[in-house]
Amino acid sequence: MSVTTRALGDALRIRLGPDGATDDPAARAAAAVDGCQPSWVARPRSLEEAARVVALARDEGLAVLPRGSGSALGLGAPPARADIVLDLSRLEAILEHSPDDLVVTVQAGVTAGTLAAALAPRRQTLPLDPPGWSRRTLGGIAATAASGPLRPRYGTMRDLLLGVRFIQADGVTTWGGAKVVKSVTGYDVPKLLVGSLGTLGVIGELTLRLHPLPEIEATCLLLLSSPEAAQELVGRIVDSTLQPNRVEWLDAGALVACGLPTAPAALAISVGSVEPAVRAQHAIIAGFAASAGARVETAGPAFWRVYDHTLAQTGGTVLRIGTLTSRLTATLAAIRSALEPLASFAVTACAPLGVLRVAIDGGEPGRLGQAIERLRAFVADDEGSVTIERAPLALRTSVDPWGRVPDGALALMRTLKQEFDPGRSLNPGRFVGGI
Amino acid sequence: MPLTSTFLDELSAIVGADALVLTTEGRMTYECDMHTFYKGAPDAVVLPTRAAEVQAVVKLCRRARVPIVPRGSGTGLIGGAMAPQGGVMVSMTRMTAVLEVDLPNRCATVQPGLINLWLTQTVAQQGWFFAPDPSSQMVSSIGGNVSTNAGGPHCLKYGITTNHVLGLEMVTGAGDLVRLGGKVAERPGYDLTGAAVGSEGTFGLVTAITVRLTHTPEAVKTALAAFRTMVDASEAVSAIIAAGMIPAALEMLDEAIIKAINAGTGAGYPEGAGAVLLIELDGPRAEVETQAERAAAICRERGAISVSVARDDAERALLWKGRKEAAGAVGRLTAAYLLQDAVVPRSKLPQIMRELVDIGERHRLLIANVFHAGDGNLHPLICYDDRSADELARAKRANEELLQACIALGGSVTGEHGNGVDKCQSLPLQFAEADLNFMYRLRGAFDPDRLMNPGKLLPTHPACGEGFRPARPVLPAGTWV
Repeated sequence: MSVTTRALGDALRIRLGPDGATDDPAARAAAAVDGCQPSWVARPRSLEEAARVVALARDEGLAVLPRGSGSALGLGAPPARADIVLDLSRLEAILEHSPDDLVVTVQAGVTAGTLAAALAPRRQTLPLDPPGWSRRTLGGIAATAASGPLRPRYGTMRDLLLGVRFIQADGVTTWGGAKVVKSVTGYDVPKLLVGSLGTLGVIGELTLRLHPLPEIEATCLLLLSSPEAAQELVGRIVDSTLQPNRVEWLDAGALVACGLPTAPAALAISVGSVEPAVRAQHAIIAGFAASAGARVETAGPAFWRVYDHTLAQTGGTVLRIGTLTSRLTATLAAIRSALEPLASFAVTACAPLGVLRVAIDGGEPGRLGQAIERLRAFVADDEGSVTIERAPLALRTSVDPWGRVPDGALALMRTLKQEFDPGRSLNPGRFVGGI
Repeated sequence: MPLTSTFLDELSAIVGADALVLTTEGRMTYECDMHTFYKGAPDAVVLPTRAAEVQAVVKLCRRARVPIVPRGSGTGLIGGAMAPQGGVMVSMTRMTAVLEVDLPNRCATVQPGLINLWLTQTVAQQGWFFAPDPSSQMVSSIGGNVSTNAGGPHCLKYGITTNHVLGLEMVTGAGDLVRLGGKVAERPGYDLTGAAVGSEGTFGLVTAITVRLTHTPEAVKTALAAFRTMVDASEAVSAIIAAGMIPAALEMLDEAIIKAINAGTGAGYPEGAGAVLLIELDGPRAEVETQAERAAAICRERGAISVSVARDDAERALLWKGRKEAAGAVGRLTAAYLLQDAVVPRSKLPQIMRELVDIGERHRLLIANVFHAGDGNLHPLICYDDRSADELARAKRANEELLQACIALGGSVTGEHGNGVDKCQSLPLQFAEADLNFMYRLRGAFDPDRLMNPGKLLPTHPACGEGFRPARPVLPAGTWV
């Protein structure tokens, strides 16, 4: 069924009230995804209102593009269709914080920064810090499975999302998981929603596991003479009893971008615990550093703020590469040989997990696309992945932003999409394999 | 459902005659797991050694529309590894290989029949371990742990099985051999591994598992605090967490269990204590020592009648000895018991402890408690005399009331044992129709013919999925066409 824009507007206003939806040209242009302008921008104030929009879209065969802060809209392929942008930023209530249980329930539009401020007085934290985290919504961090430097200690959203309320493509509000820290009742539905980019359902509410904030935290920067020396040091840290919060690898380009002293490679390591434990662990790290010939610099409390800000801002094109920890140096060499002739770039990595982030400036899209495919071929030996986290449209239309997903798994993913969104109204065309 | 001789010939051709159990006595040994209430012998048992055999068995069963039931060590507590509808049971006890250990990348790949503890034993010398540690870890298989998403005393700090599974190789109910996830942590697409862990064999049969290994901590410190009442001990648990500590384990035992343990093993838990709290901290030595002192101080402030901190491994082993033998000690209390696995928010422990006493008194039954207090995961043992039908009926009622009390406090039906046939009819306590509908459909994507471990995990559905349509959002007046 085709609908006129005006009729759709009437339908949205019935569901959302007069100021709940707009077709103002400026608002539509601002909500455009990869140049696809929606006919309407819906801004529900409750989960119920959001569900009505999704149900309407399904009934009328319209495409809905959920949106949080808009900071990760560069992830994924351009949408196949865009009728309604569902802006969830008004779902901004912290619904329930139970400090004694280390559990919080929030609406999807709450930003990680807002939550951090609310938890700080109780010295608790949701330890998720993808680049630019404080302004990103928790619904968005869940939908994109974004992670940051704290991942080695605390895991990702996958490990912290206890329960989720979401809107299925047919508009039915559904709950998965539990509100307690331990539950295996039914299937683990929250895991399925994390990283699904809104293609199976629209995340509306999250129940999250919190951690105590470490009493103190201290960071050091180890400047190394070669990537090989850094690789060896990472190996020693991984195979030790150290319990660092973060072990980030910075290449020469990343050091420059962060305004740090230059070196062929560096590791930024933070430890959070009680004071004597922080001191003792830093002493062990200093010992490792000395035998690796590293220069050790103490980093001040602002270090991770600057680092986060730099990562969030740097790079017109950003690649996220999954590889093995033991293959960091080899992967870095492959990145250099693929990109050096084409553009300037900076590489950082969550070293203990083998997750690299490449921020690229400039570069002709066609040739960058070829370089990305070469990198994919390289990491394929270890079943690694190269995902385009953001890039100019021209690059994302010339090369699949997700890369290849193994056939058997992709067939299952397609079956799931077909089951839960047969009309393809949720974020159509943006996810892996054209889902 | 009797299997045809043609079917059995084909089955034998796939796995070999020595890997096929057809005799009545043979099949009877597979009729139940550790929850012996629920019995159902399979019509045949196969013991495959390779994924290709597993896949061929699934394809054959699918063609003949014969139910398939997976089984690891059979140590589950939920009636999961038994065959209520007969069919073919696939026992993984011959698939026990460690396929790869990759310490630089902190992972290992194993076959599903491998015993949990064997993996840790394989890597312990080099300073590593596999963190999920269900009490059954000496005998339970990693495939079984994956199936039920098993927990254990140390999951308070380390998380449950799913937090340690990186990838699976699986034969789906559709007969496809697929690889989900893998050694590389970062990969695009839906988290099918995460969805499949804890699916209790209803998605398919897991044939290989890639797990995360964890480095052995520098130090471990164990303390034991005795309290007058369970409520005092529960409040100490909350205070320890509120002080910013995540102990590796926080285990609680009540008076009945303490007495039974002391009578048996001589663990020497303080006599006259109404509750014992076992606190274990691990990590960097300086952190552990500081926090152990604080935890001990908190227990004293909360009225502990004694607090002892183990000075060495021998003392530590002694403190754990009673806890580890708790299940056996219960045998001295009662001939039979019903075991609960419900969860409450940790802050509600004092409240649920009071309700538990009420329920026990109301039904004139002894309810003994040994549980994972740190994450609010209760294991009340409702004791009854199995010669008395009346006591059994009262025990069942108490069991049901207890479950409902936990849910009313915002809890969960099962924390780590799983759903199986035992808990599946309780899911509607925790999930609405729409939530369950999503789960039925999720299962269908992996197992379209619903032949995989039928009758488990999800409640039986009156309409079997047909015509099952949950409510859509109610529209305000003036609905647009």
